Amino acid sequence: MTLTGTRPVTDRKTTARRRSLWPVVGHAALIVASLAVLAPFFWMVLSSLKTNNHVFTVPIRWTPDWHWSNYVDIWTRSGMVTWVRNTLILSVVITFLQVLTGSFAAYGFSRLRWPGRDVLFLAYVGTIAVPWQAYMIPQFILFSKLHLSNTLWAMVALQAFGAFGVFLMKQFYETVPEELSEAARIDGLSEYGIWRRIMLPLSMPAIASLTLLTFVNVWNDYLGPLIYLRDPDLWTIQIGLKTFIGQYNAQYALIMTGSVLSVLPIAIVFLLGQKYFVQGIATTGIKG
Amino acid sequence: MAASLRRRNALIGLSFVLPNFLGFALLTLVPVLALFYLSFTNWNVFGQADWTGLANLRRLAGDRSFWTALRNTLYFTGVHVPVTLVLSLALALLLNTRLRGVRFFRTAAFFPYITSIVAIAAVWNMMFSPETGPVNQLLGAVGVAGPPGWTNSRDWSMPSVIIVGVWRDLGFYMLLFLAGLQTIPRDLYEAATIDGAGAWQRFRHVTLPGLRPTTFFVTVVLTIGSLKVFDLILVLTNGGPGQSTLVLSQYIYQKGFVQNQFGYASAVSVVLFGICIAVTLVQFLVNRRRSA
Amino acid sequence: MDRSRLTRIASLAVVAALALTGCSSGDSGDESGPVTLTVGGWSLATTPEFELLAEGFQKSHPDVKVEVKEYDAANYDTQMTADLSAGSAPDVYPIKCLCTFATYQGGGQLLDVSDVTGGLDETVKSAAAPYTVDGATYAVPYREDGWFLYYDRDMFEAAKVDEPDGSWTWDDYAAAAGELAKAPGADAGTYTHTWASAVQGFANAQTADGQADFLAGDFAYLQPYYERALELQKSKAAVDYGTATTNTLTYQGEFGTQKVPMMLMGSWYIATLLAQQESGDAETFDWGFAPAPQIDASTLSSPVTFGGPTGMGINAGISDRKVDAAKEFLAYISGDEGSTALAEIGITPANTSDAVAEAFFAVEGMPDDELAKSTFSTRVIRPEVPVSANTPTITTLLNDAHTAIMSGSSDVPAALEAAKQEYANQIGG
Repeated sequence: MTLTGTRPVTDRKTTARRRSLWPVVGHAALIVASLAVLAPFFWMVLSSLKTNNHVFTVPIRWTPDWHWSNYVDIWTRSGMVTWVRNTLILSVVITFLQVLTGSFAAYGFSRLRWPGRDVLFLAYVGTIAVPWQAYMIPQFILFSKLHLSNTLWAMVALQAFGAFGVFLMKQFYETVPEELSEAARIDGLSEYGIWRRIMLPLSMPAIASLTLLTFVNVWNDYLGPLIYLRDPDLWTIQIGLKTFIGQYNAQYALIMTGSVLSVLPIAIVFLLGQKYFVQGIATTGIKG
Repeated sequence: MAASLRRRNALIGLSFVLPNFLGFALLTLVPVLALFYLSFTNWNVFGQADWTGLANLRRLAGDRSFWTALRNTLYFTGVHVPVTLVLSLALALLLNTRLRGVRFFRTAAFFPYITSIVAIAAVWNMMFSPETGPVNQLLGAVGVAGPPGWTNSRDWSMPSVIIVGVWRDLGFYMLLFLAGLQTIPRDLYEAATIDGAGAWQRFRHVTLPGLRPTTFFVTVVLTIGSLKVFDLILVLTNGGPGQSTLVLSQYIYQKGFVQNQFGYASAVSVVLFGICIAVTLVQFLVNRRRSA
Repeated sequence: MDRSRLTRIASLAVVAALALTGCSSGDSGDESGPVTLTVGGWSLATTPEFELLAEGFQKSHPDVKVEVKEYDAANYDTQMTADLSAGSAPDVYPIKCLCTFATYQGGGQLLDVSDVTGGLDETVKSAAAPYTVDGATYAVPYREDGWFLYYDRDMFEAAKVDEPDGSWTWDDYAAAAGELAKAPGADAGTYTHTWASAVQGFANAQTADGQADFLAGDFAYLQPYYERALELQKSKAAVDYGTATTNTLTYQGEFGTQKVPMMLMGSWYIATLLAQQESGDAETFDWGFAPAPQIDASTLSSPVTFGGPTGMGINAGISDRKVDAAKEFLAYISGDEGSTALAEIGITPANTSDAVAEAFFAVEGMPDDELAKSTFSTRVIRPEVPVSANTPTITTLLNDAHTAIMSGSSDVPAALEAAKQEYANQIGG
């Protein structure tokens, strides 16, 4: 029990009793919360085992039809293999670029003082504040002139240099004690060396979060591919799944099958990457 | 000497920022600047953009749908932000303990964020179904007479959207808080305990200050995200019933892509941008004063 | 080469092509040589018509290659707007909804194709009327969908209710729905889908001033249609709107799995239902389609319904050497040959000449009783919405009124009055 400071406490006298009650209450809260949180996913799995016209009914049916053929059909009747491959390529490339350039730029914004820094940073954060659908068309025209539209590069260009990553990393760098960098400077390390040897290792939880969030965003992005990717060979999962909604005919069961399949890789990444979110400064041995 | 050192620092600083900034400036900043220009024109995508000066802004002032959308956006943001902030922090604290099964729960809490939005809309709408939905059946069972119509009622549609919004975003912000909690050195807690601080005091005097950069980031991102809310509303209520959940982002989309008035839509975006920036600046100033 | 000469050559070529339908020499050979024509389409996996038309055309025009460029059905206009703005749109593109035609035409994105429609069947010419601005036609319709009354003969028989006979008014329809609601296994007597057009489309088409009042912002003509819709759902004769929206009910599921014995829906559902009965998504039952109910007996001989054409137009930015081929393509898709090919997969083409009708009713599983046949051939389809630059704005505000009324958030006169004020606010009173 290390992070005792995280428990909500109001009355100090009942500490002993609370200690014994705590796991029960905590677990109960977690179980209720996770039921609420997993219900839609459960419904998604159920729907993926139904026929198209049985997905939406009144009242809702919480029993599946065991229509397993959807899981076969989606591989044979669609470009699922292509979609997964494209999505995977994009997720990896964009996440890599975003994390690398984002954390690099964040160092420049948080640890070095130079004229124009704050204005530039405000410009970054400012663009987060503009709704994308408002500048989508000017951007599309620009990308078309650069011969980027209808290529996977358009998606890379669109997402790899976002302000989100810079902002996130900057905030985390600010929690790293300044004395650490000072000590390193005195030891003769260059600024690039400090970033590489001190900041990067220390910000692992933040990098892990940024990696996951970027990965998920790319994986689930819908509007971006919708606007930029016309060629079916370039489609990502989200845009591909939409082909199951025709104008007159919606194959909801297949959409749900695809959604279930598309969630799995992220869940695996999350489970595997978890230890990085919960291993921070406290265990990397920094004592100041 | 000082001058050359400053120049050197500036160069090093720029060298860090440049790789990201070049891509950002060309690919995002340029179109955004174009948007600002277009907000003073009557551009319809296909033709020339004619300069109309402040005509769009004047039209905005008298446009009742715009004011409705603005009101709804502020309503959504005003409730969604504090609730999400508090709950996601609480969840992060809960999931930062060593309860058994916590690894599984961390993943579970993140599921709403990765589940397809079509599924989210379908399930929540069904839960909220006025007559057959589980929510109202539960309320009926505990004796609530005349339960709300949720997404199918003018008064309850916005609360419904907020509930789903909080539910979906919890995992996302929980993750950021979880990462923030890791950066608080453990010896600070140990020292506080030795000094006789109770759990609440440790929370107030160690956890909260240690989380300040994270909290600031979460608040800014969450506020801007809420002011720009779009996809959730689109799939849940599509702005209805009536205009009860019409928000600014959706109004921008309607004006631009449905009604082909991109100049006017740009003007609405500039207003939304202005609101976001004003709120963000306030948050920056508050943050600076607190951390000073 | 200047435009007028080009147009003259093009029209000659089209006339030649029409005279020699099915003959490969229709192409203007020397003028254009082999060309590749790009054509827009959506959801190709579930919408076979585009590739069907492309292949059919290529068979008779071997020196023209047609490539179908795929768009998303739900976001078609967003994607097409982006492509047109960047100059990357296909040479020929469909006008998916009549509601956005004015946007493309008014924006100068469509070529005048009057010379193509000139040589087509009378039925196509009349279907092309909404695409005509100041005497010039800017798109050629290849299909025309109208709303019919679908009915499940097995369920009607089980409920011992008389099937529609082509003489129903809205009162007859409501009475039948009330009777049918008591049938065993039925959720309700009828299903009205959640779209605004499912109520407003009929009012726009069937009331005397519907089209004019729509454009003038006076929406009182919608009132009787909404009162009837509310009454039907209050008496449980129709599936409740709130239930339908919150449970994301699909009309395919409601009618196809025999939840309701009848439903008003567009003629596109015919092909869907046939395909779903084949695939097992819909149950197998005996069904038919009848004309939509009328206000009174005066229109029973040629029942009025709403709907509209789906047409294709030529991108104004097309390269000159492709124009001939593009016009030939338009002539093909709405000519007898293309239309027959569409009819053979259960689509209702804009061209309803006898040969096309015969192909339509020869489709496996198609109801071929006299009522269905007369419904197909005597349909009078008025546009779902009148075409005007203001149409998208009016459609948006009427959609708000629809959700407010149907959810019970607002009573009918208040919602229509609010829509009228919103009209004044957006368009000017």
